[in-house]
Amino acid sequence: MKAPAFDYHAAETVEDAVGQLAEAGDDGLILAGGQTLVPMLAMRLARPSVLIDINAVSELAGIEQLDDGIRIKTCTRQNVALNSQLIGESIPLLAKALPFIGHHQTRNRGTIGGSIAHGDPAAEIPLIAVALDASIKLQTKNDTRNLSAKDFYEGPMMTLRKDDECLTDVTFPIWQEEGKLGVGFQEVSQRHGDFAIVSVAAQMVLDGNNVCQRVAIAVGGAAGIPVRLEKVEANLTGSVINQETIGDALTNMADFLDPVEDQHGSAAYRRRVARVMTERAIWEAAA
Amino acid sequence: MSGAHDNPVAGSNYHYIARKRRVVEDKRFVTGNGNFVQDQDLPGTLHVAVLPSPHPRARIVLINAEAALALAGVAAVITGDEIAEHTLPLYHGLPLPECRWFPLAHEMTRYAGEWVAAVVAEDIYIAEDALDLIEVEYEATPAIVDPEEAMKPDAPLVHPGHGSNIIYDGDFEWGPVAEDFEAADHTLSFRARWGRSSTVPIETFGVLAKWDKGTETLNVWASIQMPNYPEQIAAALRMPLNGVKVNQDIDVGGSYGVKRGIKHTVLVGYISRKLGGAPVSLIEDRLVNLASGDAHGPDRIFYTDVAFDQGGVIKSLKIRAIDDCGAYPGRGPFQLGKPIAAIVGPYRINSVHYRPCSVATNKTGQVPVRGMGQGPTNYMIETAVDEVARHLKLDRFEVRRRNLIRSDEFPYLNPTGTKYDSGDYETVLGKVTELANYDDLVKRRDELRVEGKLAGIGIATCLEPSGGNNLFEFLFNPKAEISTYMEGCQVRIDSVGNIVGTMGTTTSGQGHETLVSTILGEELQRDPDDIRVIHADSLAGLPTRSPIASRMAVMLGGAAAGAAQKIKDQLFQIAAHNLNRPIDGLEYSEGTIFDRSDPARKLSWDELCNIAHRQFHKLPEGMEPGLQALHVMQVPLGGQMPDEKNRVQLYPCFSFQAHIPFVEIDPGTGKVTVLDYFIAHDCGTVINPDIVRGMIIGGVAQGIGAALYEKFDYGPDGQFLSGTFVDYVMPSVFEIPYVKDVEHCTPSPLTSHGQKGSGEGGYLGAPAAIASAVNDALEPRGLSIHELPMRMNDIEELLNGEKPE
Repeated sequence: MKAPAFDYHAAETVEDAVGQLAEAGDDGLILAGGQTLVPMLAMRLARPSVLIDINAVSELAGIEQLDDGIRIKTCTRQNVALNSQLIGESIPLLAKALPFIGHHQTRNRGTIGGSIAHGDPAAEIPLIAVALDASIKLQTKNDTRNLSAKDFYEGPMMTLRKDDECLTDVTFPIWQEEGKLGVGFQEVSQRHGDFAIVSVAAQMVLDGNNVCQRVAIAVGGAAGIPVRLEKVEANLTGSVINQETIGDALTNMADFLDPVEDQHGSAAYRRRVARVMTERAIWEAAA
Repeated sequence: MSGAHDNPVAGSNYHYIARKRRVVEDKRFVTGNGNFVQDQDLPGTLHVAVLPSPHPRARIVLINAEAALALAGVAAVITGDEIAEHTLPLYHGLPLPECRWFPLAHEMTRYAGEWVAAVVAEDIYIAEDALDLIEVEYEATPAIVDPEEAMKPDAPLVHPGHGSNIIYDGDFEWGPVAEDFEAADHTLSFRARWGRSSTVPIETFGVLAKWDKGTETLNVWASIQMPNYPEQIAAALRMPLNGVKVNQDIDVGGSYGVKRGIKHTVLVGYISRKLGGAPVSLIEDRLVNLASGDAHGPDRIFYTDVAFDQGGVIKSLKIRAIDDCGAYPGRGPFQLGKPIAAIVGPYRINSVHYRPCSVATNKTGQVPVRGMGQGPTNYMIETAVDEVARHLKLDRFEVRRRNLIRSDEFPYLNPTGTKYDSGDYETVLGKVTELANYDDLVKRRDELRVEGKLAGIGIATCLEPSGGNNLFEFLFNPKAEISTYMEGCQVRIDSVGNIVGTMGTTTSGQGHETLVSTILGEELQRDPDDIRVIHADSLAGLPTRSPIASRMAVMLGGAAAGAAQKIKDQLFQIAAHNLNRPIDGLEYSEGTIFDRSDPARKLSWDELCNIAHRQFHKLPEGMEPGLQALHVMQVPLGGQMPDEKNRVQLYPCFSFQAHIPFVEIDPGTGKVTVLDYFIAHDCGTVINPDIVRGMIIGGVAQGIGAALYEKFDYGPDGQFLSGTFVDYVMPSVFEIPYVKDVEHCTPSPLTSHGQKGSGEGGYLGAPAAIASAVNDALEPRGLSIHELPMRMNDIEELLNGEKPE
C-alpha cells in the first residue's frame, strides 16, 4: 500500500496551481487536505503524474460574507468552518452537518472544497451544497465559471469539473424569505465519523401559521449523487406542517432513490431508512 | 470505583501483588521508545511485497515476471513453484497430507488475495511497482464460500486431493444424553451463527530475517505470539532447529492469538538464504493483514438442542458446531476443541453431545483468536439459557441462578472430565446486579418502552478457562500425544544484588514484565521497580509454550515464584553456613536473613549476593558459585491422558464473569446504542489491578465489536469485501460506553498466589451479553436474532422488512 511515483508541486498562488494543472494535461491532481486523496494514492486507486499542493495558497482559504450568501474558499479546513460564527449564523444547515464529518483530527486537515470536488455520494458537504444549491466556482489558466451544485454531480466521485479546473470556492446562499428558518440533519452510520449509510438534510421556512413557505430536502447515500427531493419539497410548500402532510409528501419517495448496495446496507434498507431519516429531518427543521 | 480493584484478596499481606502499581511496559510505549519489528534497522535490508490473487479459486497457468525482474532495484521474484520445490509444506495441527500449504499459492489459488508471487526489492515502493509488472494467467473456477454448501458431496473442492472439504468431523458424548433428553420436561432447538471476525491489532504482522553465513544461523525478528514458532520455521526450511534464532526482545503491537506469521517467516527466511544472507523484511500492510494474513477467527454455525425441566434447569445439550476454517486449516480446527473444557459453561449440566466439524472454503485461513473458540461457544450456551427462560416465561437471571454451580460444589467435575478449580458464581452475579442497580435499570428500560422505544438489558455469565493444556488436540488427533504444557522462568541475582528475571517468549501487551517483576518482588521482598525482566532468544531460551491460552499469570507467574523460591533456598543455605545456625532458626526479611533468636546476627542482601558471587571460601561445600535459578512449571493437573470415554482434564483454572449491558435500538434504523455496561469479574488473585482492568475493558470493547460491527465479508463469488477499516468496522471510543466493573476474588487452589487467567474474559462474555440485551429489546415485538454481528441492516430488516408469508 505505497503510492506509485509522482511529481510534487507546492503551489504558491491560484495562478500557479491552475498553470500546473494545465501543464499536466489530464494527469494532475490537486492536493488539499488529503484525507481521501492520500489513502487513494497509497492504495494506487489514484495515479496522478503530478500532485499540486494548494495547502500553502493563502488566497484559497477563508470565509467571506457576501450580500446574499457565504463564500467559503476551497482550502478552508472543516474545523475552521465548524468553529465559524458566520457559518453558524448564516448557514445553520452546514453548521449542523459539519460535526458528522470524520473526526476532529481529520477535520483539522480536511477541507470544504476538497470534499465537494471529490463528490462521494455519502459525504456531508456535497449533500448540503446540493440541498442549498450552492454555487461552485471553477478556475482554469484562462477562465472561470460557476456551476450550481445541483448540476455539478454526475455520479459517484464523478463531477463536471474538468481536468484543468481547480475548484476555488463555494458560495452557500442565504435564504431571504420571511418567517422562521429551521434546519434538520439526520444521518445513520455504523460508527461516529463514518461515511453515512444514509443522510438527509432539510431546510425550511415556516410562517406564523406553521405553513411551509420554502423547503429544501436532499438525501445522501441513497443514489450515486446527493438527490434533491423536489417532489416532496413541492408537496410541502404551501402546506401546514403536520403528521398527515408529511406522511402524504413522503409517499413513494423511496421510488425516486437508486441506492447502491453493500454489506452494510441493502438497497431496500437504504430506501426504508431514507424515508425514516427524511421524516425526522423535516420534523427537526420544523421544530 | 475507587478501591474496588485495590487488593481484592481479603486479608492478604501482599506488598506488591494486587496492589496498584505502574505497568512496567507502559513507560516505553508512552514515551515512544517501544522496539518493534519495523524499528529494526539492518543495513541493506530488502523488502518484500506480495501479489494477491484476484480469484478465489483458479488454476495458475503461467507467471511471467520478466518485466518485474527488469525493474531497477528488484532483487528477485519468487513464485509458488520455487517455494514448493525448496521448502516443505507448512504445518497443520491435523494430519492433512493432501492439503499442502505453502507461503505462496502453488498450482492453484484458494482464496481471493492469496499470495501468488513475492517481489524482493530495495524498498517497498519499488517492490509494489514491480507487482504491477507481473503477468499471471489464471483459469478461474467457481469458488465455494458457504460452509454448509461446502459440506455437500458435489461441492467444488478447496483441496481436490483431500477428496472433501470436511477437514475434521468429531463426535463426543459425555454423560447420559439420550436418557436426559428422554426424561426432560421440555426440549428446544435453535441455530446460532457467529460471524467471521478477529482481533485486528494496531501493528500488523511483520518479520525480518537474516541468514548469517558465518554461524549458519537464521536470525529472525518477528511480531510473533505462538508456540513452536522456531520449530515450524526450521521444519519448513529443512534446517536444524538449533540453526534458527528467534529474537524475542521485540515488542509486539497487539495480538491475542493472531500473530502467527509462519508463512511470512518461511518466505523471508527462504529468500534471505537464497540471496546469500541479505536481511529481508515483510511487513503486512493493512490490506494484506485483513485479506491474506491468515488471521481470521472462528466462523461458526451452531445447531443446539436443549433438554430442561419445568423449573428451567438444563439437563443436557446436543451441539452440532460447523466451523468455516478457510482454505488452509492450520490450527483453525482446534478452535472447536479448546472449548470442550467449558462446553457446559458455569452450569450444572449433566450431559452433552458435541459434534464439531471443521470445513474448508475459499477464504483466508484461521488463527486462534482470544479464547480460541470459547467466545462463540459461550455465545451459544448463553443463547440456550435465554431461550429456556423465554420458552418458560421465566426471568433470565433466575434461570441462571437455578443452573449455576454452587460455591460449595467446588472443585466441580463437569461431564467432559474437567474439574473447575474454584468459583462463587452466584456472588459474582449478585455483585453485578448490585453494580448495575438492576431494579433501576429495569425501570429505565420500561420507561423507554412506554415511550415507544426498544430497550433491553442483557445478561451473560461465562467462564474463561485459563492456564492452558492442549489435550483437546489429542482428542482430535491421537498422534498428537502431547501432555506437557510448561513455562520456564530464570532468575539471576548479580554480584551487587540486582535482579534479572528471564522469560522465554515475546510479549504482546499482556504486561509480562510487570507480572514477573511483581511476583519476584513479592517472593524476594525486593522492590519490583528495581527488577529487570528480559526475553531470551529462542536459542538461549527457556522451555515455553508462549503467551497463549490465558496462561501467563498462572504459568509464568508460577514459574517466577518457583525460581524465586529456589533463590531463597540458596540464600538460606549460605546464611546458615555463615551464621552457623540451622535453616529453621533463620528468618528472611526484605533480603536480609537473620537469626530468629538473636536478630543482630544477620547477613544483608548485599552480603549474601557478594558471598554467592565472590567469596567461594564462604560458600557451603558443593554449592555452585553465582545466584541463579531456573524453574520450569508444568500446568497444574496436567499430564493425565483421556480415559476410554474421552474424559480428560483440560485447562486447570476457571475465571468467571457476569455481564449486564443496557442497550437501546432505534426502530427506524436498527442501530444499537450500548448505553451502559456493567461487569463483575473473578480471576482469583489479581496480580496487577490496572492490567486486569485493561484486559476486561478492552475485552468488552472487542466483544461489542464482534456482537454489533465486525465481520470479514465475502461476496457470494468469493471476493473479499472487508479490505479496509471502512468495511471491517471496529468500534471506536464513541461506540463503547464507560464500562463499570467490580472484582471478586475466589483464589485458585492450584496456583502460586491464587491467580487465574484474565486476558480473555471481557471478550468471552460481551458478545453473548449484547445479544441477550438486543433480544430483550426485541422481545416485546416477538422477535429474536441469533446471528452475529447484529448489524443495523439485520435488525431493521427484522423490524420493518417485508415479512415472509
